[in-house]
Amino acid sequence: MHKSLIPNSFMYHCPMYSQELLKGTLQTIVLSLLAENERMYGYEITQHVKDKTAGEIQLTEGALYPTLHKLEADGFLTTEKVSIGKRVRKYYRLTENGNKQANDKVSEFRRFSETMNALLNSFNPNPELQWLS
Amino acid sequence: MAELTEHQVELIDAYIKENGVAQHALQEDLLDHLCTSIEHRIQQGESFEEAFHYTLNLFGPGGLKQVQTETFKLLTEMNAIMKKVTFGFGLTSTFLLLAGTIFKLMHWPGANIMVLLGTAILVLFYLPMILTHKVKESPRDEALLHILGFLGLAATTVGVLFKVLHWPGAAVMLIGGMSILAFGYVPVYFYKRYQTSANRSVTLSSFMIALACLILIFALMKTGNSIYYEHGVMVSNENLTQQTRQLSELNAGLYDRSSVENLAELRTESDQLVNHLESLKNELIAWAAQTDPLQLAVSDLYEMEKKHNMAIPHDLLLGPDDAPNNGRFSANELKNMFDHYRTAVLQQYPPDLRPLMEANLGLRTDGSFTDAKGQPQSWVLHQFENTPLFTVITNITNWQLEIRQMENQVLLSTISRPEVSDPPR
Repeated sequence: MHKSLIPNSFMYHCPMYSQELLKGTLQTIVLSLLAENERMYGYEITQHVKDKTAGEIQLTEGALYPTLHKLEADGFLTTEKVSIGKRVRKYYRLTENGNKQANDKVSEFRRFSETMNALLNSFNPNPELQWLS
Repeated sequence: MAELTEHQVELIDAYIKENGVAQHALQEDLLDHLCTSIEHRIQQGESFEEAFHYTLNLFGPGGLKQVQTETFKLLTEMNAIMKKVTFGFGLTSTFLLLAGTIFKLMHWPGANIMVLLGTAILVLFYLPMILTHKVKESPRDEALLHILGFLGLAATTVGVLFKVLHWPGAAVMLIGGMSILAFGYVPVYFYKRYQTSANRSVTLSSFMIALACLILIFALMKTGNSIYYEHGVMVSNENLTQQTRQLSELNAGLYDRSSVENLAELRTESDQLVNHLESLKNELIAWAAQTDPLQLAVSDLYEMEKKHNMAIPHDLLLGPDDAPNNGRFSANELKNMFDHYRTAVLQQYPPDLRPLMEANLGLRTDGSFTDAKGQPQSWVLHQFENTPLFTVITNITNWQLEIRQMENQVLLSTISRPEVSDPPR
């Protein structure tokens, strides 16, 4: 894929979902992952999301690190550094506040998704198919 | 797992730094991320170069620098309250400065306090808030640029305030502030822009334009009247002073004549008025020089920066903001003194001469006066509003001369009429 051909939505996730839809979920994804796994480093997080969603959601590094730094600045994450040869690996870990925030964000999103389900349940995008059945 | 060599890690590290990632924490994150990703791909059989380019492509448009920009943006997003407070301060100070300027132009009361408050809010709250936001938002190497901009703008604003309020030190602050902007902020700003600019000649010419504008404003501040014009006004004042002195001596000699014994009262009144005008001149010069009266001579005025100042005579004689001034040097009081003196002089002439004398004596404060735009104006405003300091000083010397002339006319006419032993009261 050529650089200039990459659409803007790629900044956030895989183009599988629209940018508007996924933009607000990045923090929720990162927080819930860290709640499950005690400590993770950046690359590990991207791989984890990729594996778990079978590639449907792919965090790009252009979006992951800004989010991690923002969460750290807000006091939801702490870091610990482990040096690996010439470089340093930074592990991110939830703080007490971060744990609370993770629970809040996940339950908020659950409720949102249930509400959306209820709202969209009666809607059939393909009425012709209904007639066929 | 395949591990990268030290040299390869250094190579990646250098690449990150060269591509504009300045924040250290982010450098560390990216280095580890790139290395791990490349190691994974090498593991799967790719070469270092292939893995390197594949991983970089994942960063999407803008590449590594975009990650940093995104991070700064997220970290410095002002929350809603901060945004409102900053906006509120900006709006308040702008409104106060605008209203203050209009009030000042219209000579309505309260102008100075508005300008003072507006500047205080601007310099103490609004600009520092913008500065902290800017410093947080941009990479560390740009902090100096924003601090320079803040200092230059703050000093210039306070300088303008001091200039408007006639406080000492205005010129120093204005020159300092504008110098910081012209020789610090603007060059540094455009140097940074130049480094990353796609069209360098455009950046260079906008730099030239910005610098030229600042220098023009600078030059505008220094424009005054021609030195020959100033010299001319000074010569006028010298001439008038010289004539006044001669007439004083002549009059003093005439008072020695026995036939004018009964004019002692006129002598006292004339001397008092001339001395009052002399004190007024000293007071004006003292205001201009910010020293005690009597420390400077009138001739020193022409060396001073403030000789063109129109606010000093205005504030001393009419009162700041046109508040009625009842002080010793009020213009209304001066008008009363002139009218009183004129009446006293007229009394010295025989009744049949008085109408003619009244129409042609000096120190007239009645009659119609118009301002620079042709609008009718009172004598008081005509003399002291929008009149430069050195013109006011020269006019005062002229009044001193008129007093001595009026005194002299009475003396001569009394001496030439020896038969009048008891002048009418």
